[in-house]
Amino acid sequence: MAYLKDQRRETMMVEGSWNIGAYRYKGSTQLQEYVDGLKEKKLIGSLCPGCGKVIVQPRNICGRCHRRMDKRMVVSHKGTITCFVISPPIEKGKYKIIGMDPVEAGVIQEGAILVPVFVRFDGADSNINTILLNCPPEKVHIGMRVKAVFVENPEGKLSDLEGVEPLKE
Amino acid sequence: MLRNAAIIGCGQTKHSGRRRDVNQAELVSEAVHNALEDAQVSLKEVNALVVGNMQGFGGVANPDLWIGDWIGAPGKPVLRIATGGTTGGSVGQGGFYSVMSGLYDIVVATAWEKHSDSKEAGATTGLLHVALANFFHAFGYGLSMKNLLATSAVGAAAGVAAYQARFYMHRSGCRSEHFDMVAAKARRNAARNKYAHLQWPNCTPEDIHKTELIVDPFRYGHVCPASDGASAIVIACEDIALKKCKRPAWVKGLASYSDEETQMQSESGGGVGVLDPSEQMGARLSAMKAYQQAGIKDPKQEIDVAEIYQPFPSQELLFSEKLGLFDEGKAWIAMEKGETEINGRMPCDPSGGVNATNAIGSSALQRILEAGLQVMGKAEDHQVPKKVRNAVAHGWGGVTNYITVTVLGETPAPRR
Ligand SMILES: [Zn+2]
Repeated sequence: MAYLKDQRRETMMVEGSWNIGAYRYKGSTQLQEYVDGLKEKKLIGSLCPGCGKVIVQPRNICGRCHRRMDKRMVVSHKGTITCFVISPPIEKGKYKIIGMDPVEAGVIQEGAILVPVFVRFDGADSNINTILLNCPPEKVHIGMRVKAVFVENPEGKLSDLEGVEPLKE
Repeated sequence: MLRNAAIIGCGQTKHSGRRRDVNQAELVSEAVHNALEDAQVSLKEVNALVVGNMQGFGGVANPDLWIGDWIGAPGKPVLRIATGGTTGGSVGQGGFYSVMSGLYDIVVATAWEKHSDSKEAGATTGLLHVALANFFHAFGYGLSMKNLLATSAVGAAAGVAAYQARFYMHRSGCRSEHFDMVAAKARRNAARNKYAHLQWPNCTPEDIHKTELIVDPFRYGHVCPASDGASAIVIACEDIALKKCKRPAWVKGLASYSDEETQMQSESGGGVGVLDPSEQMGARLSAMKAYQQAGIKDPKQEIDVAEIYQPFPSQELLFSEKLGLFDEGKAWIAMEKGETEINGRMPCDPSGGVNATNAIGSSALQRILEAGLQVMGKAEDHQVPKKVRNAVAHGWGGVTNYITVTVLGETPAPRR
Protein backbone atom coordinates (compact mmCIF):
# COMPACT_ATOMS: atom_id res chain seq x y z
CA MET A 1 0.00 0.00 0.00
CA ALA A 2 2.79 2.41 0.80
CA TYR A 3 4.50 1.08 -2.29
CA LEU A 4 3.53 3.90 -4.68
CA LYS A 5 3.88 6.58 -2.03
CA ASP A 6 7.45 5.54 -1.38
CA GLN A 7 8.29 5.56 -5.07
CA ARG A 8 6.96 9.00 -5.83
CA ARG A 9 6.96 11.83 -3.37
CA GLU A 10 4.67 14.08 -5.39
CA THR A 11 1.91 13.91 -7.97
CA MET A 12 2.85 14.80 -11.56
CA MET A 13 1.07 17.38 -13.72
CA VAL A 14 0.20 16.52 -17.29
CA GLU A 15 -0.61 19.69 -19.24
CA GLY A 16 -3.08 19.61 -22.08
CA SER A 17 -6.44 20.64 -23.39
CA TRP A 18 -9.13 18.40 -24.69
CA ASN A 19 -11.79 19.20 -27.23
CA ILE A 20 -15.11 17.91 -25.96
CA GLY A 21 -16.59 18.31 -29.42
CA ALA A 22 -20.35 18.25 -29.27
CA TYR A 23 -23.00 16.80 -26.99
CA ARG A 24 -26.42 15.70 -28.12
CA TYR A 25 -29.52 16.99 -26.36
CA LYS A 26 -33.19 16.68 -26.96
CA GLY A 27 -33.80 20.13 -25.57
CA SER A 28 -37.24 21.10 -24.44
CA THR A 29 -40.03 22.02 -26.81
CA GLN A 30 -41.20 24.43 -24.11
CA LEU A 31 -37.99 26.37 -24.57
CA GLN A 32 -38.70 26.47 -28.30
CA GLU A 33 -42.18 27.89 -27.60
CA TYR A 34 -40.61 30.48 -25.33
CA VAL A 35 -38.08 31.70 -27.90
CA ASP A 36 -40.77 31.67 -30.59
CA GLY A 37 -42.68 34.03 -28.27
CA LEU A 38 -39.65 36.26 -27.85
CA LYS A 39 -39.60 36.73 -31.62
CA GLU A 40 -43.00 38.43 -31.23
CA LYS A 41 -41.76 40.21 -28.09
CA LYS A 42 -44.08 38.04 -26.02
CA LEU A 43 -43.16 36.45 -22.69
CA ILE A 44 -44.81 33.03 -22.58
CA GLY A 45 -45.44 30.92 -19.49
CA SER A 46 -47.36 27.78 -18.58
CA LEU A 47 -50.23 27.51 -16.11
CA CYS A 48 -50.43 24.75 -13.51
CA PRO A 49 -53.98 23.42 -13.12
CA GLY A 50 -53.05 22.19 -9.64
CA CYS A 51 -51.62 25.22 -7.85
CA GLY A 52 -52.51 27.91 -10.36
CA LYS A 53 -48.93 29.08 -10.73
CA VAL A 54 -47.74 30.58 -13.99
CA ILE A 55 -44.13 29.63 -14.73
CA VAL A 56 -42.12 31.65 -17.26
CA GLN A 57 -40.36 30.20 -19.29
CA PRO A 58 -42.96 27.45 -19.67
CA ARG A 59 -42.27 23.98 -18.35
CA ASN A 60 -44.28 20.85 -18.98
CA ILE A 61 -44.70 19.54 -15.42
CA CYS A 62 -45.23 21.55 -12.24
CA GLY A 63 -42.26 21.12 -9.89
CA ARG A 64 -44.55 20.83 -6.90
CA CYS A 65 -47.87 19.34 -8.06
CA HIS A 66 -46.36 17.17 -10.80
CA ARG A 67 -49.30 17.98 -13.02
CA ARG A 68 -49.08 18.70 -16.72
CA MET A 69 -48.95 22.39 -17.54
CA ASP A 70 -50.58 22.39 -20.97
CA LYS A 71 -52.12 25.84 -20.89
CA ARG A 72 -50.04 28.80 -22.10
CA MET A 73 -50.23 32.34 -20.73
CA VAL A 74 -48.67 35.55 -22.01
CA VAL A 75 -47.38 37.68 -19.15
CA SER A 76 -46.66 41.41 -19.00
CA HIS A 77 -43.49 43.18 -20.08
CA LYS A 78 -43.67 44.98 -16.75
CA GLY A 79 -42.37 43.27 -13.67
CA THR A 80 -40.77 43.50 -10.25
CA ILE A 81 -37.22 42.75 -9.14
CA THR A 82 -37.27 39.92 -6.59
CA CYS A 83 -33.52 39.43 -6.23
CA PHE A 84 -30.27 41.08 -7.31
CA VAL A 85 -26.53 40.78 -6.89
CA ILE A 86 -23.96 43.46 -7.72
CA SER A 87 -20.54 42.78 -9.18
CA PRO A 88 -17.46 44.80 -8.35
CA PRO A 89 -16.00 46.58 -11.43
CA ILE A 90 -15.13 43.76 -13.84
CA GLU A 91 -11.37 43.50 -14.36
CA LYS A 92 -9.57 41.76 -17.16
CA GLY A 93 -8.07 38.42 -16.13
CA LYS A 94 -10.18 38.04 -13.01
CA TYR A 95 -13.02 35.77 -14.09
CA LYS A 96 -13.03 32.80 -16.37
CA ILE A 97 -16.26 31.25 -17.48
CA ILE A 98 -16.07 28.06 -19.51
CA GLY A 99 -12.49 28.99 -20.25
CA MET A 100 -13.27 32.53 -21.46
CA ASP A 101 -12.40 35.91 -20.04
CA PRO A 102 -15.48 38.10 -20.58
CA VAL A 103 -13.39 41.28 -21.01
CA GLU A 104 -10.96 39.68 -23.44
CA ALA A 105 -13.85 38.15 -25.35
CA GLY A 106 -15.24 41.67 -25.74
CA VAL A 107 -18.67 40.95 -24.26
CA ILE A 108 -18.19 42.98 -21.09
CA GLN A 109 -16.41 46.34 -20.90
CA GLU A 110 -13.50 46.63 -18.49
CA GLY A 111 -14.63 48.43 -15.34
CA ALA A 112 -18.33 47.76 -15.91
CA ILE A 113 -20.46 46.93 -12.87
CA LEU A 114 -23.02 44.24 -13.61
CA VAL A 115 -26.31 43.79 -11.83
CA PRO A 116 -27.84 40.37 -12.51
CA VAL A 117 -31.42 40.29 -11.29
CA PHE A 118 -34.40 37.98 -10.87
CA VAL A 119 -37.54 39.52 -12.35
CA ARG A 120 -41.10 38.40 -11.75
CA PHE A 121 -43.11 39.71 -14.68
CA ASP A 122 -46.69 40.71 -13.85
CA GLY A 123 -48.88 37.66 -14.24
CA ALA A 124 -46.02 35.22 -13.54
CA ASP A 125 -45.17 33.39 -10.31
CA SER A 126 -41.60 32.53 -11.27
CA ASN A 127 -38.45 34.53 -11.85
CA ILE A 128 -36.37 35.15 -14.94
CA ASN A 129 -32.64 35.60 -14.36
CA THR A 130 -31.49 38.53 -16.51
CA ILE A 131 -29.49 41.79 -16.36
CA LEU A 132 -30.55 45.22 -15.11
CA LEU A 133 -29.77 47.85 -17.76
CA ASN A 134 -29.77 51.65 -17.78
CA CYS A 135 -29.74 51.98 -14.01
CA PRO A 136 -27.02 53.04 -11.56
CA PRO A 137 -26.18 49.99 -9.38
CA GLU A 138 -26.86 51.85 -6.12
CA LYS A 139 -30.50 52.37 -7.18
CA VAL A 140 -31.41 48.68 -7.45
CA HIS A 141 -33.69 47.25 -4.76
CA ILE A 142 -36.12 44.40 -4.25
CA GLY A 143 -39.58 45.53 -5.27
CA MET A 144 -38.20 47.84 -7.96
CA ARG A 145 -40.49 48.09 -10.99
CA VAL A 146 -38.88 47.30 -14.33
CA LYS A 147 -39.79 46.55 -17.92
CA ALA A 148 -38.38 44.14 -20.46
CA VAL A 149 -35.83 45.40 -22.99
CA PHE A 150 -35.83 43.53 -26.29
CA VAL A 151 -33.33 43.76 -29.12
CA GLU A 152 -34.52 45.79 -32.08
CA ASN A 153 -35.06 42.85 -34.39
CA PRO A 154 -35.85 39.73 -32.40
CA GLU A 155 -34.95 36.50 -34.16
CA GLY A 156 -36.46 33.91 -31.83
CA LYS A 157 -33.42 33.50 -29.59
CA LEU A 158 -32.91 33.64 -25.83
CA SER A 159 -30.72 36.69 -26.48
CA ASP A 160 -33.76 38.59 -27.83
CA LEU A 161 -34.48 39.60 -24.23
CA GLU A 162 -31.53 41.86 -23.46
CA GLY A 163 -32.53 42.59 -19.90
CA VAL A 164 -34.79 44.91 -17.96
CA GLU A 165 -34.68 48.64 -17.20
CA PRO A 166 -36.35 50.87 -14.62
CA LEU A 167 -40.02 51.58 -15.26
CA LYS A 168 -41.56 54.93 -14.53
CA GLU A 169 -45.23 54.38 -13.62
CA MET B 1 -36.48 0.25 10.53
CA LEU B 2 -35.50 -3.36 9.96
CA ARG B 3 -32.66 -3.28 12.46
CA ASN B 4 -30.46 -0.78 14.24
CA ALA B 5 -27.12 0.41 13.02
CA ALA B 6 -24.51 2.67 14.54
CA ILE B 7 -21.29 4.44 13.70
CA ILE B 8 -18.52 2.77 15.67
CA GLY B 9 -15.48 4.49 14.18
CA CYS B 10 -14.54 7.67 12.36
CA GLY B 11 -11.50 8.63 10.33
CA GLN B 12 -10.46 11.57 8.22
CA THR B 13 -7.40 13.16 6.73
CA LYS B 14 -5.98 16.55 7.51
CA HIS B 15 -7.56 18.90 4.93
CA SER B 16 -5.52 21.36 2.94
CA GLY B 17 -5.44 23.08 -0.42
CA ARG B 18 -2.88 20.78 -1.97
CA ARG B 19 -1.95 17.24 -1.01
CA ARG B 20 0.70 16.62 -3.65
CA ASP B 21 2.25 13.85 -1.54
CA VAL B 22 -0.62 11.45 -2.22
CA ASN B 23 -2.81 10.38 -5.12
CA GLN B 24 -6.56 9.92 -4.70
CA ALA B 25 -6.24 6.29 -3.62
CA GLU B 26 -3.59 7.04 -1.04
CA LEU B 27 -5.64 9.94 0.30
CA VAL B 28 -8.76 7.78 0.71
CA SER B 29 -6.77 4.98 2.32
CA GLU B 30 -5.60 7.35 5.06
CA ALA B 31 -9.17 8.10 6.08
CA VAL B 32 -10.31 4.46 5.83
CA HIS B 33 -7.43 3.19 7.91
CA ASN B 34 -7.94 5.90 10.53
CA ALA B 35 -11.61 4.88 10.76
CA LEU B 36 -10.81 1.17 11.05
CA GLU B 37 -8.27 1.89 13.76
CA ASP B 38 -10.75 4.07 15.62
CA ALA B 39 -13.36 1.29 15.42
CA GLN B 40 -10.87 -1.43 16.32
CA VAL B 41 -12.07 -3.35 13.27
CA SER B 42 -9.74 -5.16 10.87
CA LEU B 43 -10.08 -4.98 7.09
CA LYS B 44 -11.00 -8.68 7.14
CA GLU B 45 -14.10 -8.00 9.23
CA VAL B 46 -15.48 -5.44 6.76
CA ASN B 47 -18.26 -6.99 4.65
CA ALA B 48 -18.82 -4.26 2.08
CA LEU B 49 -17.91 -0.68 1.15
CA VAL B 50 -19.84 2.35 -0.04
CA VAL B 51 -17.67 4.96 -1.72
CA GLY B 52 -18.03 8.22 -3.63
CA ASN B 53 -16.74 11.58 -4.74
CA MET B 54 -18.30 14.37 -6.80
CA GLN B 55 -18.76 13.05 -10.33
CA GLY B 56 -16.05 14.22 -12.71
CA PHE B 57 -13.94 16.05 -10.12
CA GLY B 58 -10.27 15.35 -9.59
CA GLY B 59 -9.71 14.34 -13.20
CA VAL B 60 -10.47 10.64 -12.67
CA ALA B 61 -13.71 9.43 -14.20
CA ASN B 62 -14.31 6.28 -12.15
CA PRO B 63 -11.99 6.35 -9.14
CA ASP B 64 -13.94 3.50 -7.56
CA LEU B 65 -12.53 1.18 -10.24
CA TRP B 66 -9.06 2.00 -9.09
CA ILE B 67 -8.91 2.70 -5.37
CA GLY B 68 -10.14 -0.75 -4.27
CA ASP B 69 -6.65 -2.11 -3.62
CA TRP B 70 -5.92 0.71 -1.24
CA ILE B 71 -8.98 0.36 0.96
CA GLY B 72 -9.35 -3.37 1.24
CA ALA B 73 -12.17 -3.64 -1.25
CA PRO B 74 -11.07 -6.46 -3.60
CA GLY B 75 -13.42 -9.40 -3.39
CA LYS B 76 -16.02 -7.35 -1.53
CA PRO B 77 -19.19 -5.67 -2.71
CA VAL B 78 -18.58 -2.00 -3.50
CA LEU B 79 -21.27 0.57 -4.22
CA ARG B 80 -20.30 3.95 -5.65
CA ILE B 81 -22.72 6.81 -5.10
CA ALA B 82 -22.43 10.30 -6.58
CA THR B 83 -25.12 12.93 -6.00
CA GLY B 84 -23.17 16.17 -6.48
CA GLY B 85 -22.56 18.18 -3.32
CA THR B 86 -24.59 15.70 -1.29
CA THR B 87 -22.39 12.77 -2.39
CA GLY B 88 -20.99 12.21 1.10
CA GLY B 89 -24.47 12.36 2.65
CA SER B 90 -25.70 9.77 0.19
CA VAL B 91 -22.60 7.61 0.71
CA GLY B 92 -23.21 7.66 4.47
CA GLN B 93 -26.89 6.88 4.03
CA GLY B 94 -26.01 4.11 1.54
CA GLY B 95 -23.82 2.61 4.23
CA PHE B 96 -26.62 2.84 6.79
CA TYR B 97 -29.10 1.23 4.41
CA SER B 98 -26.62 -1.61 3.77
CA VAL B 99 -26.47 -2.47 7.47
CA MET B 100 -30.03 -1.59 8.49
CA SER B 101 -31.42 -3.78 5.72
CA GLY B 102 -29.59 -6.76 7.16
CA LEU B 103 -27.47 -7.27 4.03
CA TYR B 104 -24.17 -6.65 5.82
CA ASP B 105 -22.97 -6.43 9.42
CA ILE B 106 -19.96 -4.13 9.07
CA VAL B 107 -19.70 -1.57 6.29
CA VAL B 108 -17.18 1.16 5.59
CA ALA B 109 -18.52 4.35 3.98
CA THR B 110 -15.90 6.68 2.58
CA ALA B 111 -16.04 9.86 0.51
CA TRP B 112 -13.40 12.29 -0.71
CA GLU B 113 -12.32 15.02 -3.06
CA LYS B 114 -8.90 15.91 -4.36
CA HIS B 115 -9.45 19.29 -5.94
CA SER B 116 -5.78 20.00 -6.49
CA ASP B 117 -5.54 17.27 -9.12
CA SER B 118 -7.29 19.73 -11.42
CA LYS B 119 -5.18 22.69 -12.46
CA GLU B 120 -7.91 25.11 -11.46
CA ALA B 121 -9.22 23.48 -8.34
CA GLY B 122 -12.77 22.29 -8.82
CA ALA B 123 -13.37 24.69 -11.65
CA THR B 124 -12.44 22.61 -14.65
CA THR B 125 -13.58 19.07 -15.18
CA GLY B 126 -16.21 19.01 -12.49
CA LEU B 127 -18.07 22.23 -12.98
CA LEU B 128 -17.79 22.04 -16.75
CA HIS B 129 -19.45 18.67 -16.50
CA VAL B 130 -22.29 20.19 -14.48
CA ALA B 131 -22.55 23.07 -16.94
CA LEU B 132 -22.69 20.74 -19.92
CA ALA B 133 -25.46 18.76 -18.38
CA ASN B 134 -27.51 21.71 -17.28
CA PHE B 135 -27.45 24.63 -19.62
CA PHE B 136 -25.34 24.06 -22.68
CA HIS B 137 -28.43 22.98 -24.57
CA ALA B 138 -29.60 26.59 -24.19
CA PHE B 139 -26.97 27.60 -26.77
CA GLY B 140 -29.19 25.76 -29.20
CA TYR B 141 -31.88 28.35 -28.44
CA GLY B 142 -29.68 31.38 -28.94
CA LEU B 143 -28.36 31.94 -25.42
CA SER B 144 -25.97 34.84 -25.94
CA MET B 145 -22.44 34.70 -24.63
CA LYS B 146 -22.97 38.16 -23.14
CA ASN B 147 -25.99 37.08 -21.15
CA LEU B 148 -24.31 33.89 -19.99
CA LEU B 149 -21.14 35.69 -18.94
CA ALA B 150 -23.00 38.51 -17.24
CA THR B 151 -25.22 36.24 -15.21
CA SER B 152 -22.62 33.59 -14.43
CA ALA B 153 -19.33 35.57 -14.49
CA VAL B 154 -20.63 37.59 -11.63
CA GLY B 155 -21.60 34.57 -9.68
CA ALA B 156 -18.51 32.58 -10.70
CA ALA B 157 -17.45 31.55 -7.22
CA ALA B 158 -20.77 32.04 -5.53
CA GLY B 159 -23.24 30.89 -8.20
CA VAL B 160 -26.79 30.40 -7.16
CA ALA B 161 -25.86 30.86 -3.48
CA ALA B 162 -25.58 34.64 -3.91
CA TYR B 163 -29.16 34.84 -5.19
CA GLN B 164 -30.28 32.45 -2.49
CA ALA B 165 -28.61 34.66 0.13
CA ARG B 166 -30.37 37.77 -1.18
CA PHE B 167 -33.77 36.06 -1.01
CA TYR B 168 -33.02 35.01 2.56
CA MET B 169 -31.85 38.50 3.54
CA HIS B 170 -35.01 40.05 2.17
CA ARG B 171 -37.25 37.53 3.86
CA SER B 172 -35.53 37.48 7.26
CA GLY B 173 -34.07 40.97 7.62
CA CYS B 174 -30.54 39.65 8.07
CA ARG B 175 -27.65 41.65 6.59
CA SER B 176 -24.25 40.94 5.06
CA GLU B 177 -22.64 41.64 8.48
CA HIS B 178 -24.32 38.51 9.77
CA PHE B 179 -22.52 36.51 7.09
CA ASP B 180 -19.27 38.00 8.47
CA MET B 181 -20.24 36.64 11.89
CA VAL B 182 -21.04 33.13 10.64
CA ALA B 183 -17.82 32.93 8.59
CA ALA B 184 -15.70 34.18 11.51
CA LYS B 185 -17.29 31.58 13.77
CA ALA B 186 -16.56 28.85 11.19
CA ARG B 187 -12.87 29.81 11.05
CA ARG B 188 -12.59 30.04 14.85
CA ASN B 189 -14.25 26.66 15.27
CA ALA B 190 -12.02 25.19 12.56
CA ALA B 191 -9.01 26.35 14.56
CA ARG B 192 -10.14 23.91 17.27
CA ASN B 193 -10.52 21.05 14.76
CA LYS B 194 -7.14 19.59 13.83
CA TYR B 195 -8.47 18.18 10.54
CA ALA B 196 -10.00 21.44 9.25
CA HIS B 197 -8.64 23.54 6.38
CA LEU B 198 -9.18 27.29 7.00
CA GLN B 199 -8.18 27.62 10.64
CA TRP B 200 -8.11 31.13 12.05
CA PRO B 201 -8.02 31.39 15.84
CA ASN B 202 -9.74 34.51 17.20
CA CYS B 203 -11.08 35.45 13.75
CA THR B 204 -13.52 38.36 14.09
CA PRO B 205 -16.38 39.51 11.87
CA GLU B 206 -14.28 42.63 11.19
CA ASP B 207 -11.48 40.43 9.79
CA ILE B 208 -13.97 38.90 7.36
CA HIS B 209 -15.46 42.27 6.51
CA LYS B 210 -12.06 43.53 5.36
CA THR B 211 -11.85 40.90 2.60
CA GLU B 212 -12.58 41.82 -1.00
CA LEU B 213 -16.13 41.88 -2.36
CA ILE B 214 -16.79 39.09 -4.90
CA VAL B 215 -20.38 39.90 -5.64
CA ASP B 216 -22.59 41.85 -3.30
CA PRO B 217 -23.64 40.36 -0.76
CA PHE B 218 -20.60 37.99 -0.69
CA ARG B 219 -16.97 38.70 0.19
CA TYR B 220 -13.99 36.40 -0.27
CA GLY B 221 -14.01 35.76 3.45
CA HIS B 222 -17.51 34.29 3.16
CA VAL B 223 -16.59 31.58 0.70
CA CYS B 224 -15.45 28.04 1.45
CA PRO B 225 -12.04 26.84 0.26
CA ALA B 226 -11.44 24.00 -2.24
CA SER B 227 -9.89 21.30 -0.07
CA ASP B 228 -8.15 17.99 -0.58
CA GLY B 229 -9.38 15.45 1.92
CA ALA B 230 -11.28 12.29 2.72
CA SER B 231 -13.50 10.97 5.47
CA ALA B 232 -14.68 7.52 6.45
CA ILE B 233 -17.03 5.93 8.95
CA VAL B 234 -17.37 2.34 10.10
CA ILE B 235 -21.01 1.26 10.45
CA ALA B 236 -22.04 -1.83 12.40
CA CYS B 237 -25.25 -3.67 13.23
CA GLU B 238 -26.57 -3.51 16.80
CA ASP B 239 -24.93 -6.68 18.19
CA ILE B 240 -21.51 -5.78 16.90
CA ALA B 241 -21.82 -2.10 17.80
CA LEU B 242 -22.62 -3.01 21.41
CA LYS B 243 -19.71 -5.45 21.55
CA LYS B 244 -17.12 -3.26 19.86
CA CYS B 245 -17.93 0.25 21.00
CA LYS B 246 -18.57 1.81 24.39
CA ARG B 247 -20.50 4.76 23.01
CA PRO B 248 -21.68 4.22 19.44
CA ALA B 249 -23.56 6.92 17.51
CA TRP B 250 -26.89 5.28 16.66
CA VAL B 251 -28.61 6.05 13.37
CA LYS B 252 -32.06 7.23 14.41
CA GLY B 253 -33.45 8.74 11.24
CA LEU B 254 -32.39 9.43 7.67
CA ALA B 255 -34.07 10.92 4.63
CA SER B 256 -33.26 12.57 1.33
CA TYR B 257 -35.54 14.60 -0.91
CA SER B 258 -35.19 16.28 -4.27
CA ASP B 259 -37.19 19.43 -4.90
CA GLU B 260 -37.66 19.96 -8.62
CA GLU B 261 -38.69 23.52 -8.13
CA THR B 262 -35.29 24.56 -6.78
CA GLN B 263 -33.36 22.86 -9.57
CA MET B 264 -30.86 24.81 -11.61
CA GLN B 265 -31.65 25.30 -15.27
CA SER B 266 -32.04 21.91 -16.85
CA GLU B 267 -33.27 20.33 -20.02
CA SER B 268 -36.72 20.10 -18.44
CA GLY B 269 -36.78 23.89 -18.17
CA GLY B 270 -36.55 24.28 -14.42
CA GLY B 271 -35.13 27.75 -13.75
CA VAL B 272 -32.49 28.85 -11.27
CA GLY B 273 -34.71 28.51 -8.25
CA VAL B 274 -37.88 29.14 -10.19
CA LEU B 275 -39.65 30.69 -7.24
CA ASP B 276 -37.30 31.23 -4.32
CA PRO B 277 -33.95 29.39 -4.06
CA SER B 278 -33.92 29.98 -0.30
CA GLU B 279 -37.19 28.10 0.22
CA GLN B 280 -35.50 24.67 0.14
CA MET B 281 -38.56 22.52 0.59
CA GLY B 282 -36.37 19.41 0.23
CA ALA B 283 -34.61 20.27 3.47
CA ARG B 284 -37.89 20.77 5.31
CA LEU B 285 -39.27 17.45 4.04
CA SER B 286 -36.06 15.53 4.77
CA ALA B 287 -35.88 16.91 8.31
CA MET B 288 -39.53 16.12 9.03
CA LYS B 289 -39.11 12.54 7.82
CA ALA B 290 -35.85 11.94 9.68
CA TYR B 291 -37.20 13.42 12.94
CA GLN B 292 -40.32 11.31 12.67
CA GLN B 293 -38.20 8.15 12.38
CA ALA B 294 -36.06 9.30 15.29
CA GLY B 295 -39.11 9.96 17.48
CA ILE B 296 -38.17 13.63 17.73
CA LYS B 297 -41.19 15.88 18.16
CA ASP B 298 -39.53 19.21 18.99
CA PRO B 299 -36.13 19.58 17.31
CA LYS B 300 -35.57 22.92 19.08
CA GLN B 301 -35.48 21.03 22.40
CA GLU B 302 -34.32 17.58 21.38
CA ILE B 303 -31.46 18.31 18.98
CA ASP B 304 -28.31 19.27 20.86
CA VAL B 305 -25.91 20.07 18.03
CA ALA B 306 -26.12 20.50 14.25
CA GLU B 307 -23.64 19.96 11.44
CA ILE B 308 -25.04 21.95 8.53
CA TYR B 309 -23.74 21.97 4.95
CA GLN B 310 -22.80 25.65 4.61
CA PRO B 311 -20.26 26.45 1.90
CA PHE B 312 -21.69 29.97 2.22
CA PRO B 313 -22.55 31.49 5.60
CA SER B 314 -26.10 32.38 4.55
CA GLN B 315 -26.73 28.64 4.24
CA GLU B 316 -25.98 27.88 7.88
CA LEU B 317 -28.67 30.39 8.80
CA LEU B 318 -31.36 29.40 6.33
CA PHE B 319 -30.84 25.64 6.57
CA SER B 320 -30.85 25.69 10.38
CA GLU B 321 -34.39 27.08 10.06
CA LYS B 322 -35.38 24.40 7.54
CA LEU B 323 -34.07 21.80 9.99
CA GLY B 324 -36.50 23.19 12.55
CA LEU B 325 -33.80 24.42 14.93
CA PHE B 326 -35.04 28.02 14.79
CA ASP B 327 -38.22 29.74 13.66
CA GLU B 328 -38.36 30.89 10.02
CA GLY B 329 -36.23 34.00 9.50
CA LYS B 330 -34.96 34.01 13.08
CA ALA B 331 -31.67 32.06 12.96
CA TRP B 332 -29.54 35.18 12.55
CA ILE B 333 -31.04 36.68 15.70
CA ALA B 334 -30.14 33.54 17.68
CA MET B 335 -26.67 33.65 16.11
CA GLU B 336 -26.26 37.29 17.20
CA LYS B 337 -26.98 36.15 20.76
CA GLY B 338 -24.25 33.50 20.54
CA GLU B 339 -26.67 30.56 20.57
CA THR B 340 -24.88 28.84 17.65
CA GLU B 341 -21.37 29.03 19.17
CA ILE B 342 -19.71 25.82 20.40
CA ASN B 343 -20.83 26.64 23.95
CA GLY B 344 -24.19 28.04 22.85
CA ARG B 345 -27.69 26.68 23.23
CA MET B 346 -27.76 25.23 19.68
CA PRO B 347 -24.19 24.86 18.41
CA CYS B 348 -24.07 24.92 14.59
CA ASP B 349 -21.01 23.50 12.84
CA PRO B 350 -18.67 23.25 15.83
CA SER B 351 -16.22 21.59 13.42
CA GLY B 352 -16.09 24.75 11.29
CA GLY B 353 -18.27 23.02 8.72
CA VAL B 354 -18.07 23.22 4.94
CA ASN B 355 -17.37 26.95 5.18
CA ALA B 356 -13.93 26.11 6.58
CA THR B 357 -13.28 22.79 4.82
CA ASN B 358 -14.74 21.75 1.49
CA ALA B 359 -13.54 18.54 -0.08
CA ILE B 360 -16.84 18.47 -1.97
CA GLY B 361 -17.60 14.74 -2.23
CA SER B 362 -16.54 14.27 1.37
CA SER B 363 -18.27 17.33 2.83
CA ALA B 364 -21.71 15.87 3.51
CA LEU B 365 -20.19 12.65 4.94
CA GLN B 366 -18.09 14.84 7.20
CA ARG B 367 -21.28 16.35 8.57
CA ILE B 368 -22.43 12.83 9.53
CA LEU B 369 -18.98 11.98 10.87
CA GLU B 370 -18.77 15.18 12.93
CA ALA B 371 -22.29 14.67 14.30
CA GLY B 372 -21.16 11.15 15.20
CA LEU B 373 -18.07 12.44 17.00
CA GLN B 374 -20.25 14.78 19.07
CA VAL B 375 -22.55 11.90 20.09
CA MET B 376 -19.58 9.65 20.86
CA GLY B 377 -17.90 12.43 22.86
CA LYS B 378 -14.81 12.22 20.64
CA ALA B 379 -14.73 15.68 19.06
CA GLU B 380 -11.80 16.70 21.27
CA ASP B 381 -11.26 20.48 21.25
CA HIS B 382 -14.50 21.20 19.38
CA GLN B 383 -16.65 18.89 21.52
CA VAL B 384 -19.72 20.84 22.64
CA PRO B 385 -19.69 21.28 26.44
CA LYS B 386 -23.04 19.59 27.09
CA LYS B 387 -24.72 16.23 26.92
CA VAL B 388 -25.41 15.27 23.31
CA ARG B 389 -28.53 13.15 23.06
CA ASN B 390 -29.22 13.85 19.40
CA ALA B 391 -27.22 15.45 16.61
CA VAL B 392 -28.44 16.32 13.12
CA ALA B 393 -26.29 16.20 9.95
CA HIS B 394 -27.34 17.90 6.72
CA GLY B 395 -26.18 17.88 3.10
CA TRP B 396 -27.07 20.16 0.18
CA GLY B 397 -26.27 19.35 -3.44
CA GLY B 398 -27.53 17.64 -6.53
CA VAL B 399 -28.06 20.57 -8.87
CA THR B 400 -28.98 22.80 -5.90
CA ASN B 401 -32.14 20.72 -5.40
CA TYR B 402 -31.09 17.68 -3.37
CA ILE B 403 -30.92 17.31 0.40
CA THR B 404 -29.81 14.63 2.87
CA VAL B 405 -30.64 14.73 6.58
CA THR B 406 -29.40 12.20 9.14
CA VAL B 407 -30.17 12.09 12.86
CA LEU B 408 -27.71 10.35 15.16
CA GLY B 409 -28.19 9.77 18.87
CA GLU B 410 -26.88 8.18 22.04
CA THR B 411 -29.63 5.53 21.99
CA PRO B 412 -31.30 3.74 19.06
CA ALA B 413 -34.59 5.12 17.73
CA PRO B 414 -37.74 3.98 19.54
CA ARG B 415 -39.26 0.87 17.98
CA ARG B 416 -42.47 1.47 16.11
ZN1 LIG C 1 -48.59 23.21 -9.48
